[in-house]
Amino acid sequence: MDNAVEAKNLTKYFDEFLAVDHIDFEVKKGEIFGFLGPNGAGKSTTIRMLTGLTKPSDGTAKIFGYDIQKQTIAAKRYVGIVPEFSNIYADLSAWDNLMFTGELYQISKPEREKRAEELLEMFRLIDRRNEKAKSFSKGMKRRLTLSMGLINTPHLLFLDEPTSGLDVQSSLIIKDVIRELNQKGVTIFLTTHAIEEANLTCDRVAIIHKGKIAAIDSPEKLKKTIQSVQSIEVAFTDTKLKTLKDLDKIQSVNEVRKEGDKFKLYTHDPSNALSGLWDYAKANNLKPLSLNTLGPSLEDVFVRLTEIEVKTKKEEKQ
Amino acid sequence: MSKRLSIGQMKTDLSASWAIAKKDMRIYYIKPGTLMFGVLFPLFMFLSFAVGKNVPAATLVPGLISITILFSASSIGPMVIPIERKVKTFERLLSAPISFYSIILGKTLGGFLFSLAIGVIPLFIGLLWFGTQIVSIIALIAGLSLGSYCFATLGIMFASFPTDNPGNIMMILNFVRLPLTFISGIYIPVESLPGWGQIAAAFSPLTYVNDLVRYALEGKTLYGPIVDSIVLVLFTAAFLFLGMRLDKKFRK
Repeated sequence: MDNAVEAKNLTKYFDEFLAVDHIDFEVKKGEIFGFLGPNGAGKSTTIRMLTGLTKPSDGTAKIFGYDIQKQTIAAKRYVGIVPEFSNIYADLSAWDNLMFTGELYQISKPEREKRAEELLEMFRLIDRRNEKAKSFSKGMKRRLTLSMGLINTPHLLFLDEPTSGLDVQSSLIIKDVIRELNQKGVTIFLTTHAIEEANLTCDRVAIIHKGKIAAIDSPEKLKKTIQSVQSIEVAFTDTKLKTLKDLDKIQSVNEVRKEGDKFKLYTHDPSNALSGLWDYAKANNLKPLSLNTLGPSLEDVFVRLTEIEVKTKKEEKQ
Repeated sequence: MSKRLSIGQMKTDLSASWAIAKKDMRIYYIKPGTLMFGVLFPLFMFLSFAVGKNVPAATLVPGLISITILFSASSIGPMVIPIERKVKTFERLLSAPISFYSIILGKTLGGFLFSLAIGVIPLFIGLLWFGTQIVSIIALIAGLSLGSYCFATLGIMFASFPTDNPGNIMMILNFVRLPLTFISGIYIPVESLPGWGQIAAAFSPLTYVNDLVRYALEGKTLYGPIVDSIVLVLFTAAFLFLGMRLDKKFRK
């Protein structure tokens, strides 16, 4: 058994609406697997089916070979779940939250006390262990949720948007722990909107769109599939909105976006576009502050596959 | 082997149920909503109907005990489950390696123990101040425990409705609980009800709880303690079954 997760023909209908459309994929043991997609694409429904919270309309999901529908309890023993929402007991202390979760997983008292100490230390909550969780900041609540997801020392950890909207300290602690866990052999199933985070963290990613898997591979291989989408990032000493429209007219430039104080020019022919850009800068007396040529990013792959780009262009035309 | 495994799982489930019940006791027993719907509401309702009646106070005690355990036991599930749905902690229970039965058992245990603790208060008041006497301790234990568990499962059944607002469930539940108090021999003995009232009383679990408690404290009974106990077990099984079916239907 090389796979931590196996989804075959996994399907979910909500009445007439097809939320997850007959998807197949595997997550190998020990890998960090990113599950990306726009809102409403079917990410959460897929996770809910994989963790036994929602019954699939069709297909099967196996966790370390255990069918999540037929061998639910056996499968759940290997799994830790950290949902997008910090579902902690606000009226209990951090310590009691961990003790209760440990009891649900049948961990003996000495063992769960030892584990709770380790986790609170790891997530830097040890000094606040006896405080009620309702007094915690968002980042602390998130760290406590993660601790609770790890109390049973899972072999597979489902992480739904683990760092979304967090302060820098909490975000860094969580990223460190994820890396450390993975080095110890824990398989990570991660959903995130932070595409760059997935690019830097994941061994493989799947992009789900309208309930279907649009692509599944390593980030670098996915980027190679859209080599035609390259870009030039340029910042001028003077940033004017008019420049955006002018840059769009340069030969070989397919699209221009303003990103902060920079312009990003998408092109299939960077050398030709660079030459046009140089001529434009000279003619308009613009001095470049910085200039970079970039290959396609994972975000470009995401945008391409989820058709977000098309919508933006349409909106612009309207 | 499989038998040993299933016994192991049963132990696991029981221990998880106890953990859930303990947690619910710590968090929800002193919430204002629980105290309002589970303690004050039945007390004031009973007083508003009983005060001024020209009967010995001791004869009111069985009714007060019955109505108290109805409201206290059936309030915990509808208070706790919608709140836990709202803050998604119910999902934490569902994603743990325990059976759904153990979650339900834990939740009903919470209502059961709350009701026992509250239900003995009017009993002690009766014993200490109104000359109430215990005729059958076994019937009293059966009445308190079967009644409390039965009404805890009634609350769980209503809590299966997919809402995250306790008020929504309490409103529907009161449509059932309030009429039950009038047809179950609390204020007027079942024997004194008109024919249709006596038929309706037979379909109310509160009738059997009240009959058992009345037998335990006054030695008077309409159906007999064994029939009362059997019917309460059947009501409990029906509420549990319906509650699980409804949950399955709503939780897609």
